[in-house]
Order: sequence, then C-alpha cells, then structure tokens
Amino acid sequence: MNNRIGRNGKWLTKTIIYLVLFIAVFFYVFPIYSAVNTSLKTNEELKYGPVRVVKDITLANYSSSFEKIRRPMLNTIIFTVFATAISSILGAMSGFAFSKMSFKFSNIILLFVVLGFYIAPQSILIPLVRFMGNTGLYDTYAGLILTHTAYGVPITTLLFKNYFDTIPDQLMESARIDGCSNIGSFFRIALPLALPGFAVVAIFQFTNIWNEYLYGLTLTNGVESIPLTVAIANLKGTTVAAWNMQMAGLLISILPVLMMYLLFMELIVKGLLMGSVKG
Amino acid sequence: MKKKMELLFFLLPVIVLVALFVYGFIGWSFYTSQTDWKVIGETGKYVGFENYKILFSRDRTFKKALFNTLKLSAIFIGCTIPLGLILAILLDLDIVAKKAFRIVFLLPLSFSFVASASMWFWMFSPEIGVINSFLKLLGLGFLEQPWITSGDQSVFCIAVAYIWQFSGFATLVYYAGISGVSEDIREAARIDGATRFQEYWRIVIPMQKPATLTVLVILLMYSLKVFDLVWLMTGGGPGKSSEVLSTFMYKTTFSRNFFGRGAAIGIIMFIVSLIIILPFFIRRGESDYE
Repeated sequence: MNNRIGRNGKWLTKTIIYLVLFIAVFFYVFPIYSAVNTSLKTNEELKYGPVRVVKDITLANYSSSFEKIRRPMLNTIIFTVFATAISSILGAMSGFAFSKMSFKFSNIILLFVVLGFYIAPQSILIPLVRFMGNTGLYDTYAGLILTHTAYGVPITTLLFKNYFDTIPDQLMESARIDGCSNIGSFFRIALPLALPGFAVVAIFQFTNIWNEYLYGLTLTNGVESIPLTVAIANLKGTTVAAWNMQMAGLLISILPVLMMYLLFMELIVKGLLMGSVKG
Repeated sequence: MKKKMELLFFLLPVIVLVALFVYGFIGWSFYTSQTDWKVIGETGKYVGFENYKILFSRDRTFKKALFNTLKLSAIFIGCTIPLGLILAILLDLDIVAKKAFRIVFLLPLSFSFVASASMWFWMFSPEIGVINSFLKLLGLGFLEQPWITSGDQSVFCIAVAYIWQFSGFATLVYYAGISGVSEDIREAARIDGATRFQEYWRIVIPMQKPATLTVLVILLMYSLKVFDLVWLMTGGGPGKSSEVLSTFMYKTTFSRNFFGRGAAIGIIMFIVSLIIILPFFIRRGESDYE
C-alpha cells in the first residue's frame, strides 16, 4: 500500500517536472516560432493573422529585407571584428600584468578598470558624442571601433586576469629564469596557453558588440556606417505592418550570434559565468 | 626600470582608454550637468546644481521615470530569480534531453535587445498581435488585452520581454551554483533520510546565496540601464506610462537638446549604478583578504 502511494507520488512529481519544463520551453520558443512562421508568409497569407501555420512558404521576405540591411550588416561585421580583436588583445595584455606581475596598487587599479564595465552608458553618453564630433570620428567605423574597444577593455581585462590566474606562476617563473623578459614570456608562454581563454573572451565580446544599439544610435547617422541593430530598429518604422519582412530581417540579424551560441555553447557559458560570478 | 617599461607596455593602452572614456567622460558629464547648455555648438553657462534641483523638485516626468525604473526592476527581478532557480533545479534533476532543454533556455540570450523588442512589440500589439490572435483562436477572446497600448500594462509587457530575454542568465548562474554544491554533502543528507525535496529545500537552495547576489547585482545593473527594449517597444509611452531613466535621459538630451539636464540624469544613473555594485566589490575585497 505504502509502496503504491510512493510510486504514484513519484509519477505525479515527474508529471509536474515535465509540465513545468514544457511550459518554460513554450515560453521561450513560441515567440521565435511565431517569428519564423510569419517570416515565411506571403503578403496574401499575412492577412489571416499571425497564428495560422504558413501554407505557401516563400523566402522573398528574406531577400527583400536583406537588401535593406545588407550595408548595415557589413558595417557591423567590420567594426565588430576589429573592436573584438583589439579589445581582446589589450585585455590579454593588461590581464596578464594584473595576474602575473606584482606592482603597487595593482588591486585598486584593477578595481578602477573593472568598474568601467558596470557604469550605465548614459553617464558618459553626452561627452562621448561630443568627443566623436570634435575629433571627426562621428559617423565613422573608427569611432565605433574606438568606442567599443574603450568600453570593452574593462571586461576583457577582468576575464583574462581570471583566466591567467588559473595558469600556474611556475610556468612564467621558469621562463624568466631562462632569461625571458615579461614581454617575452607573455608572447611565448602565456598567450599560447591562453588560447582557450581567448576564444571565450572573443565570443563574449563579439556577441556584446554585435548586439549593441545605443552607441550605434547616437554615434552614427548614414547608411554607410549605421550598425545592423539600428537598421533593424528602422525596419520597424519603414515597413509598418509588413511583419513578414520585419521578422525575416530580425532573424537574419541574429543568425551569426545564434550560430555561435549553438556551436560554442560551452565557451559562451564560461564567458558569461567568468564575467559575472568572479566579478 | 625594465619592469616599469614592461608594465607600461602591458597596461598603458587599457589605462589610457579607461581613464579617458570612463573617468574623463564622467567628469565631463558632471561638469556639463552644472551648466544650462541647450544649444548645439555652445557650452552654456555655469548654474551649479540647478539641474539636479529642478529634476528632484519640479520635474514630474523624472519622478515617473524613477518610479517606472523601480517598477520594471521589481517585476523583472521578482520573476527572473525564482524562474531561474526553478529551471536550474529542474536541469539538475535526472531528466531526459537535459542538453536540449538547456539550449532552449539560453537561446533568447543570443538575441539582441533590438531583435527581441521588435518581436515582443509584435507579440503584444493589440489588433494584429500574436498573443491576442492566439487567445482568440483558443476561444479565449474575452481575455484579450490592450497590452502595450495601455498605460497600465506597458511596463508589464516590457518586463515580460525582459524576462524572456534575460532569464537564461539567471538559470545559468544558478545551474553553476547548484553544480558547485559538493556531492558529499548531498549524499550525507540522503543517507540521513532526506527526501529529494528536502535535499534541495534545506541544503542546495540555502547554499545559493552567492549565486543570488551575483544574479541580483547583474539584473539590477541591467534594469537600470535598459534602453533598447523600452525605446523600441513603447518609446516610454503611451503617455509617460513606461518612461524609464534611460529613455528620459535620451529624450531630454537628444530630442529636447537639454544637454545640461540630460547630463544630470546620466550622473544620477552613475551614482545609482555605484550603489548597486557596491556589494559586489565588498565581497571581492573580502575574498582578497581571506
């Protein structure tokens, strides 16, 4: 008797567990499913409302919205790649110094650097726009690269510092005894060992910069330099009620980062945890 | 001497960038916030703390924005923390297709706020929106809501989009926290006759305080600076019903050209963010001296 209650209880628990899991899956997937569903519809089919499953699949929305966001996408690719590379390299250098070289006030200096990651962008926005205007960097790739690098180095420094902390000091020591300078041991020993860390940091930075909106909105103007996020936001204004095209456009815009998530899930998880838990 | 040169090589670029773009610009913002600068190309004249005084005494939109920022944080964080903890625990149990569930829960994190804002704007549109259409299809048409077009529901709609977008992060941190609980402690509890439920309720969950602090600080940070979602879903409206500090700062600065006032809002946000991350750095400092 007792045993049967136990088994029923177990069955009930299992049901509840999977029920909660599937409600969660529904919550996360339903909007994405709806977006994909609608993005495949013709204008004709759009009239039957957003819920109906697509019958006459078309890819025309993807090609027409891609036409509109092609240049902004190229812009984003260019400045994201450069800003990711530069901020990762600079972060590796300073992270190495904070982790493996001892100097006065290193903790306090690190704190001041890392603090830069946590400030609200609104607190520096007006000087930033003015600075870019005064230096002629407004509306240029260089301006966006500089901005994303400057606000990226606090977190890349922290991520690399945490990463280098996991590499034993003895490895550096032995290099120094062999006559290597710190710079030498950084390039010959630390950097090759930090390659997995590099992947984590670069992916973290890439997704952040790719998805950023506010700096793009305030620092660029023309189609020659606006980022993809700004173009997607504009799509909302210029194609009112053309939901099929809007959804196609936004799905194109997230595709690169989505692919990274699916391919490098473990590295992304590591980056997110390193950037916060040890923060 | 050589070591000094080496240090310069490693640290100078980062320190120069941070010193100028973070601290220099905050100083510049603070200076701007003490001027009545309104015209592009000019700099305005010094007015002391006048902008702050106006914001706190006369500006009702500022108060509304402050209130809405708090309201949004409360809904967002109040839902995200339990949701993240529950999903992390479920992922920790012996369930089938664990990896697939984890991928699904983290999927929205890959979306830009811009993309999720466009999507949820459409979900919550009253006439042709997905949610209302879906309710109609289920024969629940009486549950239809005005959603983002209603002053009472706009903040709620933004909060739902925010939870959708960001709760995976909480799940992730809790999942890592739960995996960090040593198997020995859990084994011991089981030997002492604890049920699975007691094992989580008495042992695992109480050990998630550091994870909760992490999640709380990061979520607070994000709800303070949230801009994209609000700007693109409601633009702060209808009326001022969903105006938050970041959208108010943006409008004050770039639509009304009240640069001095906008800078003051920015500085207020800076001070709030300092208060939010304080526990983080205190904990960091403590662990340094352990």
